[in-house]
Amino acid sequence: MNYPIWQLDFAGGGLLIAAMAIIHVYVAQFAVGGGLFLVLTEAKGLRENNAGILDFIKKHTRFFMLLTMVFGAVTGVGIWFTISLLNPAATSTLIHIFVFAWAIEWVFFLGEIISLFIYYYTFGRLDDRTHLTIGWIYFGCAWMSLFVINGIIDFMLTPGSWLETGGFWGGFFNPTFWPALFFRSFLAIMIAGLFGFMTATFLKDEDLRLAMVRFSAKWLLAPFILFLGSAWWYKAALPPALETMIFDRLPGLQPFMSAFVLCSALLVLGGLIMAVRMPSRMSRTLAMAMLIIGLIYLGSFEFIREKGRKPYVINNYMYANSIKKADLAGITAGGVLSSAKWVKNREIQDDTLYQAGAEIFTVLCQSCHSTGGLLNDITKRARFIPSDKLEAFYTSMGRERNYMPPLACNPAERQALTAFLTTVVRE
Amino acid sequence: MDPHLLIPNPDAIPVHWLWLQLLLTLTTALHLVAMNIMLGSGVIALFTPFWLGDAVHPMRRSIARTLPFTFAFTINLGVAPLLFLQVLYGQFFYTSSILMAFFWLSIVALLIIAYYSAYIFSFKYETLGRGPLFIGVSVLLLLIISFFFTNNVSLMQLPETWVRYFDDKSGWLLSLGDAALLPRYLHCIFSAVALGGLFVAVLYEVKKRRGNAAADGERWIRHGCTWFTVASIFNFGVGFWFLGSLPPETYSAATVEGRIFSVMMLLSVFGIVKAVTSAQVHRVFPAAAWAIATVFFMTVARDVLRMAYLKPYFSLSELPRVSQYSPLIIFLVLLGAAGFVCWWMLKTVWNAKEVSS
Repeated sequence: MNYPIWQLDFAGGGLLIAAMAIIHVYVAQFAVGGGLFLVLTEAKGLRENNAGILDFIKKHTRFFMLLTMVFGAVTGVGIWFTISLLNPAATSTLIHIFVFAWAIEWVFFLGEIISLFIYYYTFGRLDDRTHLTIGWIYFGCAWMSLFVINGIIDFMLTPGSWLETGGFWGGFFNPTFWPALFFRSFLAIMIAGLFGFMTATFLKDEDLRLAMVRFSAKWLLAPFILFLGSAWWYKAALPPALETMIFDRLPGLQPFMSAFVLCSALLVLGGLIMAVRMPSRMSRTLAMAMLIIGLIYLGSFEFIREKGRKPYVINNYMYANSIKKADLAGITAGGVLSSAKWVKNREIQDDTLYQAGAEIFTVLCQSCHSTGGLLNDITKRARFIPSDKLEAFYTSMGRERNYMPPLACNPAERQALTAFLTTVVRE
Repeated sequence: MDPHLLIPNPDAIPVHWLWLQLLLTLTTALHLVAMNIMLGSGVIALFTPFWLGDAVHPMRRSIARTLPFTFAFTINLGVAPLLFLQVLYGQFFYTSSILMAFFWLSIVALLIIAYYSAYIFSFKYETLGRGPLFIGVSVLLLLIISFFFTNNVSLMQLPETWVRYFDDKSGWLLSLGDAALLPRYLHCIFSAVALGGLFVAVLYEVKKRRGNAAADGERWIRHGCTWFTVASIFNFGVGFWFLGSLPPETYSAATVEGRIFSVMMLLSVFGIVKAVTSAQVHRVFPAAAWAIATVFFMTVARDVLRMAYLKPYFSLSELPRVSQYSPLIIFLVLLGAAGFVCWWMLKTVWNAKEVSS
């Protein structure tokens, strides 16, 4: 409403955010759990006076640094870029409410960089105790980054008392803050195990490889029960209406739920198989497969969490199409074309019906629907609704179809939208 | 169409805008110093072999070792000003980013490639880094990224050009019609090359003072100072071109912004003259201190210039405010604590290096 909209067509419907976010979160979670993996593995090597383990963890740190500090850090910036391009109003809201939370996260990010560089470059050059201390500082900073980001992410799902008070702390320590923090912390430890497989299976010494693969398997399997427990706590902490929406109402979430359950079983099974002695090539292949399963696992969860907010982008405050809940009635009465800043067709004429409809679609629908793309393709969805039934469909939005925002259009704009949708389907 | 009507409504800020402006200016200056070192030392590593041949490898290797650090700090120190910019100018910045969305988002991919290319240049210097390929890719992509950044800065402060969106909504707009675009961009690039040169000189000066200078250390101190001096002299010319391309009302002495801008310009000229004269006699640390001070003055000038550009549309004092100061206090406390821990880590590693050397 407030901002111009990047016309994406095929890549619309949140595809770019999903792609960027899932990849980044996977690496970012590794940056947290992997930090703990570094120090505890080094401590194990020192305790056992095992040069092989110490050499392994130095190489693993190099891999860790190259992945998290380059790919992880830049895709983190990439998420900012992406959400500000695709949903600037929600991004602006989050930035303005939580500016100092983001700033605190930046401080920990700085601490992560300095400590990780020092940790990597001082293997064998600092005394053991100091080196481990640097590693713990890295992990502390990484986990605190998670702590801060967790508050902001879960604010979007459950804004809590912020909706009434507008207070920073009520929004930050929102109803799902603690279960989500435990959930993500355990997940981060499990992901550390998955990446541990990746580097351990490349070890040439067979005994050391097996020992490190089994060690990594413990990282994957040991927190699993606690992880499932925190998932249950997370679910229980959801407001009843939101829980119903996610688990019963949203039509598109079932495949992701199934994928999450299936991947849980596959990860446990794969973790057990990894602990069996096998040829290095086979273990490397399996490690890669496990990493991909882990990505699907995390992706499923993130999809459930993201889509679970529907019809909102910030629950009970701002709809996915950037209209604030409080503004909806006024916009509907006055018309979206009068209210939106970045539209050309403020008046609907017979010869501009299609163009006006296209603009309405862009403003109200593109945030969730692509045109001919992968996510929520409008051409496929509208095809199954006869044009004379579209009006009834519009009315059901925000009611029977409460996973969609109410359509903020006046009657003339509804006609224009129908003209556009039926044309798009015909094309 | 009246551009005023297109400007999005801003959200409320939680503290007085001066706090946010102060943080924006400080962190932007830090980011610019890191970015200048990263890009400038990369340019020097790329081009010096063309006239010095193999003799340049010791110096190039030193740059290669530092590039992963300068990349990491440039990105990290870029996050903070990006944050504070969004809080103060989000309604302009988001809009301009969307208008050039394709280019803006491409920065993510370009930066990842540039970063990994720099790592290859660094970690595999002897086998892959001696040629121009990896550092060339890195520098080229950084130059492209800088160009996109300059475009965004330009677009965000020219709302009168935003109506072009209605002809092209696909995110392919740039600010090529802005007469100040090219000199602004070149001013940044020459500044980076100058500071990159000074960084090389500082690097070898530090090595010398720590007693582990290479035999040709003095040569590279002189070499770095020469890059700094030549690039700074060129940048004087580009700076005046940039100044001439600005709308006169942006630096008019009749306005507060114009007066602050003029003072900052004078301080910048003074600072860079002091830096160049110090570099000429190879007094590297005073030169670096004056150069960093100049970056700070230029950053203030830059921020004031933005205010002047946007004055017909917006003033920071108009931003709505719903005060909540406790998060700011927590941030400042944690910043101080983190500063102490980082200082301890750096001191520890510095002392350890002395022992090992």
